[in-house]
Amino acid sequence: MTEAFAARRSFLPRSAGRSYSSFTEKLADAANKLQSYISSSNDPYLNLSIEDHILRKSPADSTVLFLYVNRPCVVIGRNQNPWTEVNLGILNAAYGTHKRKDSEPPGVGTVDLVRRRSGGGTVFHDEGNLNWSIICPRGDFTRDTHAEMVVRALRKLGIERARVNERHDIVLDQGLERLACDTQNTHRTPYTMKEGALPRPLKVSGSAYKLTRQRALHHATTLLSSPNLHNITQYLRSPAKNLIHAQGVESVSSPVANIGLNVQTFQQRLQEEFATMYANFGTPSIVKTVGDDYLNIPDIRKGYDELLSEDWMWSQTPAFTLVLDSKDDIGIEMKVHHGVIKSLTFTNSNVSDKSRAALCTTLVERKLQDIRKWTPFLQSRIRSWDEGLATVATRLDQLLPVSGLPKR
Amino acid sequence: MATRSSVARAARQLTSAAARRPSPFVCQRWAQASQKQRLFSVSAALKEKKYTEDHEWIEMSADGKTCTLGISEYAAKALGDVVYIELPQIELDVSEGDAIGAVESVKSASDILTPISGTVAEVNSDLETTPGNINKDPEGNAWIAKITVSGKPTGKMMSKSEYTEFTEDA
Repeated sequence: MTEAFAARRSFLPRSAGRSYSSFTEKLADAANKLQSYISSSNDPYLNLSIEDHILRKSPADSTVLFLYVNRPCVVIGRNQNPWTEVNLGILNAAYGTHKRKDSEPPGVGTVDLVRRRSGGGTVFHDEGNLNWSIICPRGDFTRDTHAEMVVRALRKLGIERARVNERHDIVLDQGLERLACDTQNTHRTPYTMKEGALPRPLKVSGSAYKLTRQRALHHATTLLSSPNLHNITQYLRSPAKNLIHAQGVESVSSPVANIGLNVQTFQQRLQEEFATMYANFGTPSIVKTVGDDYLNIPDIRKGYDELLSEDWMWSQTPAFTLVLDSKDDIGIEMKVHHGVIKSLTFTNSNVSDKSRAALCTTLVERKLQDIRKWTPFLQSRIRSWDEGLATVATRLDQLLPVSGLPKR
Repeated sequence: MATRSSVARAARQLTSAAARRPSPFVCQRWAQASQKQRLFSVSAALKEKKYTEDHEWIEMSADGKTCTLGISEYAAKALGDVVYIELPQIELDVSEGDAIGAVESVKSASDILTPISGTVAEVNSDLETTPGNINKDPEGNAWIAKITVSGKPTGKMMSKSEYTEFTEDA
């Protein structure tokens, strides 16, 4: 064991091996009460794993800022259903599940699907969105504290319509009139209107949290200059949404907007605001850029592999029932628990008794992730293939696709 | 991360939660066994509800073989409206300090830790459909799991009054 490890290590430049182990050592050093990191990687799985590593390893009484930008991806909350939240059929151009028609606007290209470890709803990330995350002692945590910090940073860059709303998100008020208002109040702007009044505030930043024994992670998006705003809704509109009754967490959709700032400018401003807010701890004792090579750190690699596992992506889905009982549908009700098909019930179905039995034998107790494409899967297993089964398979391909995850 | 072991899942398919629930007859037998055991070692102090600094509670069964685990009223109040509870898989082996599930409320996921090692014997499946019950009766009907214990907790466990004091200090 030791030998194999030593042999593998020797392929790495010496300095690299040292710098990785010292990253975790410095991160965990009790002397480092204030730390600030920025990632040069745009891999969402890696950035979330570095973030989780910071959450687990940083000293219990430290406060850490971590900033990163991801390549285009849809990120669902820990307890969400990807089939209701995401239009999975159009995600992965590169994996061949989506053929763009000539009539469609230019696409975003490959969009990764990610399930994060924190709660909350589904968001879209791209190169115009800065993700900020704060890891702090659980005792210091409130859902508003750091959203307020971000609003202060935005206002210093001239974004006076920015405020924290009742859902702890950041919005830009759209009021037409400028009213007198305390400029220090991060929950109100001169353009705040009565709740429900039009035009509605536009959401520019959404938050989610993960709480561990001693630590709290607050991470959030910030839409600065996304070139894909017009496309976001098509990724978040699922054809199965109204046909699936799901346990777990449903997203609350909001109209969104770009703030109109450059990513680098805001990044720098946010680091300054963080330093100002925690000036009583001194200046951050670590200010560091992390990147793709951090995947060589075993703990980060482990978290990365977990996020990319089929079990985490699909089987973590809370129990749900797909109900296709309307007159012109296929007349099937399917119960799924932890990603495993538990039962099939037929009501007003055109499927023959023989085919019903074949479907039950083939599908019950099967993991959705092992099916991938319904038509070839069923066709290769059910000998007496007929039109009824073909219709069922096509419909399920539409509603419950399981796309491949990126190769590690 | 609550990636579920396929062994546990396979086992679960064979023995549903309902089938594992002891029949009245079994209950009676257990009650007798407990009386016998009481003569030897199980003190009243052990069966009293105990609390952790992470705001979980455990309560040992009379025979000292299983414990019921849940989150405290203080924790339930602090979490706010609970929208989903991830329960552990039955037959999952757990070690003291492991996250055996998670609670989601107001966009945050919080781990549920077990202060005791053992095997998950039963989960409160009602919480899957009515997670909000944990805000109503966290120390009663809204228990989370029953664990067949394989050791004693080594971490700090508090009595009700010690725990109340602990939460008042915090």
